[in-house]
Amino acid sequence: MGEVTHGGCCPPMDLFRSEPMQLLQLIIPIESAHRTLSYLGDLGLLQFKDLNADKSPFQRTYAAQIKRFGEMARTLRFFKEQMLKAGVSPKSSVAHVDVNIDDLQVKLREIESELIEMNANGEKLQRSYNEHLEYKLVLQKAGEFFHTAQSRALEQQREYESRQLTGESMQTPLLQDQELAGDSSKQVKLGFLAGLIPREKSMVFERILFRATRGNVFLRQATLEDPVTDPVSGEKTEKNVFVVFYAGEKAKAKILKICEAFGANRYPFAEELGKQSQMITEVSGKLLELKTTIDAGLMHRDNLLNTIGAQFERWSLLVRKEKSIHHTLNMLSLDVTKKCLVAEGWSPVFATKQVQDALQRAAVDSNSQVSAIFQVLHTRELPPTYFRTNKVTSSFQGIIDSYGVAKYQEANPTVYSIVTFPFLFAVMFGDWGHGICLLLAALYFIIREKKLSSQKLDDITDMTFGGRYVILLMSLFSIYTGFIYNEFFSLPFEIFAPSAYECRDLSCRDATTAGLIKVRDTYPFGVDPVWHGTRSELPFLNSLKMKMSIILGVAQMNLGIIMSYCNAKFFQNNVNVWFQFIPQMIFLNSLFGYLSLLIIVKWCTGSQADLYHVMIYMFLSPTDDLGENQLFVGQKTLQLVLLLLAFVAVPWMLLPKPFILKKQHEARHGVESYTPLQTTEESLQVESTHDSHGHEEFEFSEVFVHQLIHTIEFVLGAVSNTASYLRLWALSLAHSELSSVFYEKVLLTAWGYNNVIILILGLVVFIFATVGVLLVMETLSAFLHALRLHWVEYQNKFYEGDGYNFHPFSFSLLDEDEE
Amino acid sequence: MAFAVTTLIFAVVGIMVSLCTRICFNQGPSANLFHLTLVLTATTCCWMMWAIVYLAQMKPLIVPILSEGE
Repeated sequence: MGEVTHGGCCPPMDLFRSEPMQLLQLIIPIESAHRTLSYLGDLGLLQFKDLNADKSPFQRTYAAQIKRFGEMARTLRFFKEQMLKAGVSPKSSVAHVDVNIDDLQVKLREIESELIEMNANGEKLQRSYNEHLEYKLVLQKAGEFFHTAQSRALEQQREYESRQLTGESMQTPLLQDQELAGDSSKQVKLGFLAGLIPREKSMVFERILFRATRGNVFLRQATLEDPVTDPVSGEKTEKNVFVVFYAGEKAKAKILKICEAFGANRYPFAEELGKQSQMITEVSGKLLELKTTIDAGLMHRDNLLNTIGAQFERWSLLVRKEKSIHHTLNMLSLDVTKKCLVAEGWSPVFATKQVQDALQRAAVDSNSQVSAIFQVLHTRELPPTYFRTNKVTSSFQGIIDSYGVAKYQEANPTVYSIVTFPFLFAVMFGDWGHGICLLLAALYFIIREKKLSSQKLDDITDMTFGGRYVILLMSLFSIYTGFIYNEFFSLPFEIFAPSAYECRDLSCRDATTAGLIKVRDTYPFGVDPVWHGTRSELPFLNSLKMKMSIILGVAQMNLGIIMSYCNAKFFQNNVNVWFQFIPQMIFLNSLFGYLSLLIIVKWCTGSQADLYHVMIYMFLSPTDDLGENQLFVGQKTLQLVLLLLAFVAVPWMLLPKPFILKKQHEARHGVESYTPLQTTEESLQVESTHDSHGHEEFEFSEVFVHQLIHTIEFVLGAVSNTASYLRLWALSLAHSELSSVFYEKVLLTAWGYNNVIILILGLVVFIFATVGVLLVMETLSAFLHALRLHWVEYQNKFYEGDGYNFHPFSFSLLDEDEE
Repeated sequence: MAFAVTTLIFAVVGIMVSLCTRICFNQGPSANLFHLTLVLTATTCCWMMWAIVYLAQMKPLIVPILSEGE
């Protein structure tokens, strides 16, 4: 095996290193290949390598089948669409009947054509129904016009007649008389057209008609109260009924054209009232008929869709399975005899037995003469990284993976990040009231886990849901740090003991000038509640939080360097232990480890020493006397030693490693001490050995520059990373200040008005500000900063993250691939 | 003195929780080690935080000065 035999520095731990992987070669008889892959897909612990990478998808053995399943998948999608439209939801099938994929294909095709035909018919019927509906409306409305017009005409005539009868009126102009007489004598044949026009077009329509015919038309319109379905587009539109009167064929042709251009549907219309009513009854009858036909069609279609729905999930799963099986089959190479398929793939070592079992079962079940041959290949290729995570750890692993997937068997930062990530978050988010709110949110997601995981969520909810366990831990730690900071929505409580401070005397006169005095033991847990609201609160908390950030940062960075030791030990890389791990430890701790020590000593002794001064003059003039800044005896000597160590550590990191690597390389090359690879005739192995020969090329200058960069990065990083941890202070300060502003300026001000309405208003504003700003935005920003501290400050000490993830061929992962 | 006592309490709680996880989630040696690591890391973090805040208040250089308003 190409990989180095690892001596672990520690006993194996879950999640700390990738599962050991092996490259398998399977030689599968072609008759049992399909079944074998289907069993392996059920198992889901084998990642196939594409052995036909040079072939395009169309040149591959099973391209035709893939196309076929693609077609079936399309049909299924069509069904799904149709079901969605009809409001039929696919039911999870109860009875498990084995369906043959070929039968299924025939069945799918049949159903599809049936469905398409049904849809076409239904559409036709619907269209005709809508047309008739419009026609009916036109008949009614236009009938009204004629009716009213006629009654008016009659009225007029009667009036005229009565006037004629009374006759003697002298005012009756002759002209009118003549006109009327003329009218009746030279009857101009007026034609008319009736129809429907969309309401928004009606004005323009009228204008255009008027212009086109030079005003020789008469248009009547009536609005329809309810929108009607347009037969052409099938959409509901508001329409007007119109009747247009014209004279002459020329005008008619023009009007017809205009109607067409405006999408106005015309309907034949008779002038006589009797005919009209007859037509109305006719159309109504037709409508009824159509309605029943359509209903019957819909019912039939619903039945069909329901039968599809009952089977849909199973069909779709089957098709997806088949498609993925053939897709994987395409990655296997065909043996020269064309009787076997050769597969290669990565699999975790623990799965060996299961894979062999699956092969055996497949051979038996498909009555194959020979079972598949199982063989472990030895390669120098880097195996994929595979961590066995559960629902809690997977979200943390996801956080690390989004920075970079661990190199194979590299120490996994997730192990410690599971705790340190929520912890650093909580340092910035310390408030147990807010922590409880966050906890409730996380618990909501966790309790409804089963229900939520089965349904589709929108992006943000989905992200929150995915990180529910991260949020749970974050909230628990926030509650803890909230107690430490003694803040509950920015309010302190004397929970653990009375405050350690009292007034100097009974009158408490100088409490606002000289301050209180410590009379009892230190407050046992967290920040003394007396600090809240005092004038010296900020200076005290700033000093405390700043120092805390540095100490926590130095601790975490040390953890990172220790992880690099674990890696070096695991890969038996003594050079890294001696020329990377040790000088790095020395450098970091002689500067910032020492600073942490000074902080602690200062706290314990209550010294007035100025730590900035100490640190700065440790570099500027190390031999000078410390004077009043001395914290302990022998400090000066210690400082000199540490300074010297730090200065030595830099070339120690830089110089020896490249030379040693060069020597090692030369030694290996000179003696040709390759352990011969186990000889098998596989071409791939020869290839992979060639590859590794390529890697053996040694450029000294390149290695040296690399080491130089690495050293500079570490030395500068030690300073800048420590400074970067001060964000813990900044964010926690911002959080507590914001929450106290909301409490005092909103809630207390509203309280001061002694008015219920203002109080309620203030309460509402307070709740919204707390939820919106503190719980959502502050959570997000603290999350991002904790993320950064892990990705950059912690992981750059040891994490390479240039591996690739293990993607097994598995049916249970199909859904994600498909959507 | 109080510092040592509380530290001891932290240690005891840490050990108790380790034992509890050992008993409740016994899933083989490597998983147990993983759980132990988690519990110990969490205990250490919490203890560090408490210890830092406690030490900082032991011999304070500044004392609380009440605001004028109160």
